[in-house]
Amino acid sequence: MNEEFDVIIIGGGVVGCAIAWYLAHFDLQILLLEKELDVCSGVSKANTGIIHSRSYWTPHTLKGELHLRSLSWIEQAEKELDIEFLKTGALTMAFSRDDLEFLQTLKERGKIEGAQILAPREAHTLEPMISDKIFAAYYDPETRVASPFELNIALAESAFLNGVHFILGQEVVGFEEEKSIVGVLTENGKYLSRWVVNCAGLSSSYLAQKSGDNIPSLRPLRGEYLVLDRECRGLVHHVLYPVPVGETKGILVSPTTDGNILVGPNLEPAEDEDTSTTKEGLKEVEEGGKKLIPSLPVSQTIATFSGLRPTLPDRDFHIFFSSRFPSLLHLVGIESPGLTASFGIAEYVGDLLHKRGLKLRERSDFVIRSSFPVFRKLPWEERERLIQEDDNWGKIVCRCEEVTVAEVKHALLSSPGASTLDGLKRRVRVMMGRCQGGFCGMRLPFLMAETLGLEERRIVKSGRNSFYLGEETKEVRSGASLY
Amino acid sequence: MPRSIRGDVVVIGGGPAGMAAALSSWEAGAKSVFLLERNEYLGGILPQCIHPGFGLQIWGEELTGPEYAEIFIENLNRTGVEAMTDTAALELTPERIVKAVNPQGAWEIKANSIILSMGCRERTRGMLQIPGYRPAGIFTAGLAQYLVNIAGYLPGKDIVILGSGDIGLIMARRLTLEGARVKMVVEIKNSLSGLVRNYVQCIQDFNIPLLFSHTVTEVRGKERVEAVVISEVDEEGNPLSGGEREVECDTLLLSVGLIPENELSRQAKIPLSPQTGGPWVDEDFSTDLEGFFACGNVASVFDLVDYVTLVAERAGRAAVLARPPQEKHILRAGEGVHTVIPQRIREGKDGFLFIRPQKSMKGVTVSFWEREKIFYQKKISICRPSEMIKLDLAQIPWPQEKGEIKVEIKGTEIQGIS
Ligand SMILES: Cc1cc2nc3c(=O)[nH]c(=O)nc-3n(C[C@H](O)[C@H](O)[C@H](O)COP(=O)(O)OP(=O)(O)OC[C@H]3O[C@@H](n4cnc5c(N)ncnc54)[C@H](O)[C@@H]3O)c2cc1C
Ligand SMILES: Cc1cc2nc3c(=O)[nH]c(=O)nc-3n(C[C@H](O)[C@H](O)[C@H](O)COP(=O)(O)OP(=O)(O)OC[C@H]3O[C@@H](n4cnc5c(N)ncnc54)[C@H](O)[C@@H]3O)c2cc1C
Repeated sequence: MNEEFDVIIIGGGVVGCAIAWYLAHFDLQILLLEKELDVCSGVSKANTGIIHSRSYWTPHTLKGELHLRSLSWIEQAEKELDIEFLKTGALTMAFSRDDLEFLQTLKERGKIEGAQILAPREAHTLEPMISDKIFAAYYDPETRVASPFELNIALAESAFLNGVHFILGQEVVGFEEEKSIVGVLTENGKYLSRWVVNCAGLSSSYLAQKSGDNIPSLRPLRGEYLVLDRECRGLVHHVLYPVPVGETKGILVSPTTDGNILVGPNLEPAEDEDTSTTKEGLKEVEEGGKKLIPSLPVSQTIATFSGLRPTLPDRDFHIFFSSRFPSLLHLVGIESPGLTASFGIAEYVGDLLHKRGLKLRERSDFVIRSSFPVFRKLPWEERERLIQEDDNWGKIVCRCEEVTVAEVKHALLSSPGASTLDGLKRRVRVMMGRCQGGFCGMRLPFLMAETLGLEERRIVKSGRNSFYLGEETKEVRSGASLY
Repeated sequence: MPRSIRGDVVVIGGGPAGMAAALSSWEAGAKSVFLLERNEYLGGILPQCIHPGFGLQIWGEELTGPEYAEIFIENLNRTGVEAMTDTAALELTPERIVKAVNPQGAWEIKANSIILSMGCRERTRGMLQIPGYRPAGIFTAGLAQYLVNIAGYLPGKDIVILGSGDIGLIMARRLTLEGARVKMVVEIKNSLSGLVRNYVQCIQDFNIPLLFSHTVTEVRGKERVEAVVISEVDEEGNPLSGGEREVECDTLLLSVGLIPENELSRQAKIPLSPQTGGPWVDEDFSTDLEGFFACGNVASVFDLVDYVTLVAERAGRAAVLARPPQEKHILRAGEGVHTVIPQRIREGKDGFLFIRPQKSMKGVTVSFWEREKIFYQKKISICRPSEMIKLDLAQIPWPQEKGEIKVEIKGTEIQGIS
C-alpha cells in the first residue's frame, strides 16, 4: 500500500475499534492493523464485560476521568451500533460493619438516583440466593452488562461501514521516520501515516519501547473465570460485587447478556500472554463465587477461561505522545475498566490528536449500523418469514444456542468477517453453549470452508497454526452432506 | 404465521429409539405419526458407528451401525410415518405442542402423544474443568468419530484418550487403523468404563497402554494441543502431587460420559430423575406427565442399541393406547445400584427392568425390598457398570399394594479389567 493514511490504529481490541469508530465520524483516511486473524482477539475477548457505573470510578486518575467521560456516550453508542447493554444494576455485598464505610463511599461517589444501602432482608428480596451472612448491600441501578465480543465487533463493523480499512493478521514490529510522518513497519511491509495510535493491549508497552520511549513493561495480571450453563439463568439478576480487598473489584457473580452466569475473576501474576487456567485459580474463583452465592451450582460449569490485565505499577492508564515520533500516540496500561472507558478513551484520543493538529471535520454521511437478526431471539412469525426469504434460516447448525446457517454465513461474509472458528463463536455464539461444539463442531468447519472457498484442512480455531482437522482418512469419504 | 399441523403421535429425535417408537406407533394403529430429526438423515448416532456390534441381542447377528439403522429406515419407508429430517424441535409445551423449524418453514405441531427420543450429548472439557490453555485439538470422542467416519478427517496424529468408555475404546482402534498414534488411554477410576470385549478388541489387540487411576490435569499448547499432563489420582479422583508427567500429543479425545438431552423435557415441565438425568418412566416408558413418553438414551444412557429398540417399541405402542394414569410402584436405587430404569412399575406383567451396577462385582445378588422385607432375589455370576442387568418384569412377584421398592446389588468387588 503506497497510500498515505491520516491515522493508523495498531490493535483491533475494544479500544482500537472504539477509536476507529469515533474517528470514522470525521473525514479521515484510517487504517487499523491487527496482528491476529480477527478483531477482538486480545484482552477484550476475555473479561467480565461490565459497564461499571459512576459509583465505581476511581477519582484522581486518568482511568477514572475517562470512565466518567465514557458513560455519557452509552446511549449514543447503543443507537449507532444497534446494540443494547443489559441494565442489570448491581449489589455490592458487605460482610461486616467495617465494610459499611466502603458502601457509603460508593453511594457518595455515584450520586445515582435510586441507589441505596440495603439491609440484608431488602437485599434478599432483590436477590434471594445471596449469602445470609451479609451485613448490608449497596444497590446501584446503573450498572450494565455488555457482551464484550458484541461491542468490540459492532465497533469494528461500524468503523468498516464508514470507510475504515482493516488489515488483519498483520503484526506491527516497529516504526520509521519518514519526513514529517511515521512509517509503521509490519512483517510484510511498511504503511505510512500522519498519525499513529498504539493501542496494542498487552504489547503496547513493548511497541512504545520499540519507538524509543521510556515506559516500564506491562505486568500481566491474570483473572480466571467459570461460565455456568444457561439453565442457571435466574439464579442472579444483578451484578454481585464483594467489597474489594486489595487491588481489584474482587470475584463477582454476574449474569451475561446471553443468559449464562459468569463467576470470576481472581487476580494472579502471570507470564507473558499466558492465558491458561489453573486448578488453584479455578478453585479460588469457585470459593469467591460461593462467598456471594453459597449454593452456586458449579457442577453446571460449561467452560473456563482466563484473561490478562495489562497493568503498569501505578495501575492507571498512560496515554502519551512518543518523544521520538511526535505524531505517535501510545496507550499503555488499559486495564479495567477499559471496556467501560473505551468511548471516553476514543474521544480523548481524538482531542489529543486534534490539539496537535489533526483536522476533525465531521462527516455528514455517517452510516448507522444495523445488527443482523439473532434467530434465537426472534418470534415465530418472524422466523417463518425469514425462512421463506432464505431457507438457511431454517437450518440449525448449533443446537445449544439455536444458531442457523444464515447467521453463520452472514458472520463469515460480513466485514471485518470471521475467518476462524473462534471468530464465528464470538459473532454468533456457535460452540459456546453447553455442548461446547460437540454438535456444531461436525458442521462448522465444512460450512466455513465452503462459504469462504477455503480448503477444509486450512480451517483454524484462532491462531494461524491452530488447525482444527488432521489428515484425510485412508478411505474415500462417505460423500454424505456435512451440514 | 407458523404452519399448524396435528398428529396422533409426534416423535422427537430420529435415532434408533425414535425410529422404533414411530414404527410401533404406526403398527399399533396411529393414523398420523410425525418423526422429527434435526440431522439430514435418520439413524441418530448409528451412521457414524461403522464398527460391528449392533443387533446381537435381538437378531442374533452382529451388524454395523449403518446396517442396523438401514433396517429401520426401510421399514419406516413402508409405513405412513412422516419422517421430517432437517427438522429441529426447539420448543415443547406441557399441552403437547412442539415448535420446530426446517428449511420449509416454522412448524407448530399439536399431538395426542409425544415420544421423546432426543438421545444424549457428550460431556465436555468445560464440565471437567481441566485447566490449561484452550487450543485446537480437543474433541469429544463422538465428534472425532463423526469426523473420521463421515467427514473423512483424522482429528490429529498423536492422540491421548481420556476415559475408557466404549466410544473412546472404539476410537482408539479406529484411529490406529487410520494411521494415527494412540499414545494411551487414561482412566480416572480403577476399573474399565466400557465393555470388556471393546477393551480386548480395541486396546489389548493393538498394544495401547491403558492407565487406571490417572487423569489429565493440564492441557499445554496455545494454538494446537502440544502435550497434556497426566497425573495419578487417589480413590476420590484427586490428583496426587508429584505423580505428574507430560505426554506429548496433538489431540486429546474425551470419552467421559454422556448426558441425556432433556432441554425440551424441562421446557414441558416433565419431572426428571437426578440419577438418570432423564424423565421418570414406567414400564411403558410413559413419563410422569400424561401424554409424554421417553425412550432410549434420553431416558437413561443405554449401552446397547438392542435394548433401546426394545424399550422404544413399548413406548410406541403405549403412546397409541394412551392408558389413563394410575398408581405405581416406585423403584429406588439402593446400595450398589447406579440406576434403575424404569423407576415406576404400573403392573409389572410384561416389559423389562434394566439395572446399572455401581461397581464391577462377582457372586452378585440382586435384591428387591418392600419396606423391611426382601420379596425377590436374583443371583448373577458377574456384573459391570458398563453392562446393564436386564430382568423380565414378569419374573418378579410384585407386591399387591403399590409403594416404594428398593433395589440392591451385593457382591465381591473386582478391580481393573477382569
Ligand atoms: C480479567 C479482566 C476483567 C476485566 N473486566 C472488565 C470489566 O468488567 N469492565 C471493563 O470495563 N473492563 C474490564 N476489563 C478491562 C478490559 O477488558 C480492557 O481494558 C480492554 O479490553 C482493553 O482493550 P484493548 O483494546 O486495549 O486491548 P486488546 O483487546 O488486547 O487489544 C489489543 C489488540 O492489539 C493487538 N496487537 C498486539 N500487538 C500488536 C502488534 N504488534 N501489531 C498489531 N496488533 C497488535 C492484539 O492482538 C489485540 O487484538 C477487564 C480485563 C481483564 C483482564
Ligand atoms: C460411539 C458409540 C458407539 C456405540 N457402539 C454400540 C455398539 O457397538 N453396540 C450397541 O448395541 N450400541 C452401541 N452404542 C449405543 C447406541 O448407539 C445408543 O444406545 C443408541 O444410539 C441410542 O439411541 P437413541 O435413539 O436414544 O439416541 P441417538 O442415537 O443419539 O439419537 C437421537 C436423535 O435425536 C435427534 N434429536 C435430538 N434432539 C432433537 C431435537 N430437538 N429435534 C430433532 N431431533 C433431535 C438427534 O439428532 C439424534 O439423531 C454406541 C453409541 C455410541 C455413541
